[in-house]
Amino acid sequence: MEYAIIFLPLIGAIVSGFFGRFIGDRFSEIFTSLLVSISAILSFVIFYIVVAQGYANNIIIFSWITSGDLQVNWSIKIDALSSTMLVVVGIVSSLVHIYSIGYMVHDECKTRFMSYLSLFTFAMLTLVTSDNFLQLFFGWEGVGLSSYLLIGFWYKKPSANAAAIKAFVVNRVGDFGFALGIFLIFYYFGTLNYSEVFAQTPYFVGKQINFLGIETSVITLTCLLLFLGCMGKSAQIFLHTWLPDAMEGPTPVSALIHAATMVTAGVFLVVRCSPIFEYSQLALNLVCIVGMTTAFFTATIALVQNDIKRIIAYSTCSQLGYMFFAAGVGAYHVAMFHLFTHAFFKALLFLGSGSVIHSFKNEQDIRLMGGVWKKLPYTWILMLIGTLALTGFPFLSGYYSKDAIIEFAYLKNSTVGFYAAAIGILTAVLTSIYSWRLLFKTFHGRYSNEKIKIDKMHESPMIMIVPLILLAVGAIGSGYLFKDLFIGHESSSEFWRNSILFLKPINYDHPPTWLILLTPLLVIISIPISYYLFLKNKKILSKYIQSHKQIYEFLLNKWYFDELYDFIFVKPIKRLGLIFWKNGDIKTIDQFGPDGFAKLVKFFSYKAVQFQNGYIYHYALVMLVGLSILLTYLILI
Amino acid sequence: MINIGLGHYLFLAAIIFIIGVIGIFLNRKNVIIILMSIELILLAVNINLVSFSIFTQDLTGQIFTMFILTVAAAEAAIGLAIIVVYYRNKGSIRVEDISSLKG
Amino acid sequence: MITHAIFFYFFSIIAIFSAIMVVASKNTVYSVFYLILDFISISCLFIMIGAEFLGMIMLIVYVGAVAVLFLFVVMMLNVSGIKDKQFKRKVSYSHISFGSLISLIIFLELIIVVGGWKYKPNIVEISSIRIDKDFTNTHAIGNVIYTDYIHLFQLAGLILLVSMIGAIVLTYRKREGIKKQSYFKQISREKKEAVTLVEVESNKGINLDD
Repeated sequence: MEYAIIFLPLIGAIVSGFFGRFIGDRFSEIFTSLLVSISAILSFVIFYIVVAQGYANNIIIFSWITSGDLQVNWSIKIDALSSTMLVVVGIVSSLVHIYSIGYMVHDECKTRFMSYLSLFTFAMLTLVTSDNFLQLFFGWEGVGLSSYLLIGFWYKKPSANAAAIKAFVVNRVGDFGFALGIFLIFYYFGTLNYSEVFAQTPYFVGKQINFLGIETSVITLTCLLLFLGCMGKSAQIFLHTWLPDAMEGPTPVSALIHAATMVTAGVFLVVRCSPIFEYSQLALNLVCIVGMTTAFFTATIALVQNDIKRIIAYSTCSQLGYMFFAAGVGAYHVAMFHLFTHAFFKALLFLGSGSVIHSFKNEQDIRLMGGVWKKLPYTWILMLIGTLALTGFPFLSGYYSKDAIIEFAYLKNSTVGFYAAAIGILTAVLTSIYSWRLLFKTFHGRYSNEKIKIDKMHESPMIMIVPLILLAVGAIGSGYLFKDLFIGHESSSEFWRNSILFLKPINYDHPPTWLILLTPLLVIISIPISYYLFLKNKKILSKYIQSHKQIYEFLLNKWYFDELYDFIFVKPIKRLGLIFWKNGDIKTIDQFGPDGFAKLVKFFSYKAVQFQNGYIYHYALVMLVGLSILLTYLILI
Repeated sequence: MINIGLGHYLFLAAIIFIIGVIGIFLNRKNVIIILMSIELILLAVNINLVSFSIFTQDLTGQIFTMFILTVAAAEAAIGLAIIVVYYRNKGSIRVEDISSLKG
Repeated sequence: MITHAIFFYFFSIIAIFSAIMVVASKNTVYSVFYLILDFISISCLFIMIGAEFLGMIMLIVYVGAVAVLFLFVVMMLNVSGIKDKQFKRKVSYSHISFGSLISLIIFLELIIVVGGWKYKPNIVEISSIRIDKDFTNTHAIGNVIYTDYIHLFQLAGLILLVSMIGAIVLTYRKREGIKKQSYFKQISREKKEAVTLVEVESNKGINLDD
């Protein structure tokens, strides 16, 4: 069963990718969707077994690398953590597969697309089910690769290619740290296997290492390096720039990779490595600070963006920030819970926006939308559900997970915790505002698209709506249904067991009532406020923008991160590369190497060709020269 | 100077030989001149052989010369025939026009 | 002795001069004539030093046959006509100096070889076929060539035959549109195919064009 979960998507990818031309578009779509759906159902079964029977297993497929001390296996590790991820990946992936059949209907490379999607699913599944860091790294890079392929899926668009390269390169920065972290683990622990590493971790507390002249503890350094990888993959601040650009890819890709699954791999890794992170308060604090900074700062950017997908992308960044600061305050289970619920409502939002984009014929600017809620009733309702869930409207999924994060941060009873809780509440309000702005601008107000007549608007086909409805069910119900399982009082002993290590017992005190009520209240209040600001009375807002143009520009340009990186990294490196290229490559290596040889050979061959001019007297002359040389030699010797 | 020996004949043969060699690659007129130069070279060889034969009182050199004469005659006949055929086909036997060897 | 020297210098100067002229003369016909002159003077030298048979053979073969063959070909191909064209074309003379230098080197080396020659003291004794003063040169050659060298002699004749056939085959061409006698056709003609008897009706005649 575990084998089937992992390898069915791979089979789908191979069949669709290599034989897509022979089996046809329709068949490959159905085939991959079917396989991934089977995989998803089996994931559910596994999840059920894990929940009900406490099933945990570590299947070793075969030994991958055996080199000296290094022993790495291909394996399928099933425990609470990985089964949760399996469910998330399986559901979202299968629904996105089905949704893509409808969404990509006008595209020419359907088989390629389905193949990439399945490949991604496979890579993500290997990532979450690995029992060692190397297989994790394989999956990590595998999802990175498929993400690259899918962002650049419309390879004829230069911007898509640029975005794909950007995503890849920015991820490399994180992966560099991640790889260093793995090296460090192997260097000190002598193994890459999770269980062995985690078992040894307590003995390394207090061990110091000199890294770049700074004396730090081994565990802290390991955590920080691993977290660097997480930051890259999960688009946390400083390495977040690729995620909004990645929206160049088709919308199902954004939903699958850049909302529900791949970007959460970082969170997954932190949670998976909780036995290490728990021993380093510094690393945890850093995770927490990075998480909340990201949550806040991307929420502010999302306030003013105009691209529907970018808003959701920044929102994703923000929610990932939530997960990280949940992990940072030690509430790993809450982070996983938020990951779980977030996968539903964010995929719902993305796919819903995809439906809107589909209806608007690839228009993504929300200023050019509006007033179509009657035309797109299903999409509107579904987006509404997604938005409510995202903002944490009471009793929807986001409410349980997000409030739990804030509560746990508060209950942490430390400076960082209080600070995180405050930022969390603030960000929740911001989230609410930008989400409603998105919804209002897209579906309400005046219709303002001049290219397409409003009469021509039509609802997306059923094959796109049905996955949305399923996701909506998840977005509504997942919070309520699973909250006891994931973050209930007995969850750590009943469900998570060994997969997450809590060094200190979790604080289950009741937070003060005002805190519990504060967030939902603020979120609900922000609905009419944003309704007023974005629909009824736009003048206030435009006046405010006029008077505080600098802030607006600052936010609109995403805090100038891209420009900053361009200035600090890209341009000097480009200049350096240019210097090396011009001087090192062309003038030195090429000139004396290949080009020089080529020129030499050319020169001599021209000379040789001149001998071969077909004139008899030349041949005779050459013969004579040879004869004279021979004679001279014979006489002189 | 007055006492003519083998060396004089060999000297003469060398001169004629060199003239023949020069004739092969210095002329640009036609291929017939090249054939004639070959005849000159063979002649120089004949002179060598005959003079050695006479001055060493050995008849073998003269026999050899006869065979060389035979071969030279045959070579001239065939060579000229080839030239005639070539001229018929290409319309020219100028040395500079014959360069199809370069491919 | 002095007469030998005089004749040697006389003929050898003629030979060298005519050899140069063979190569250098602008007109190919002149070249052939100089070639003939060259052969004549060399055969005179041969006769002079006692190889009468070879000298005469040279005259007969070269002057009588080869040179005339050259002459024929030169006349036939009308190569002297292209003489003028040569001067219109730009010709590079760069190779001449180089070639002359190389030739000079070879010449000098030949001279070194010739000048540095030392006979073995017993060179006359070890020669295989001694020249007998009792016979004439022709007689001596005949003695040897029909006995010791008979096979090679036959082979030389064969070579000449082959070259003759080769030359004929190469230059022979069947020309179209020329009326030629075909002996075979003439001989194999019979009455049946040559004559047809036609019954001519009176007053009608017969159409002969059929």
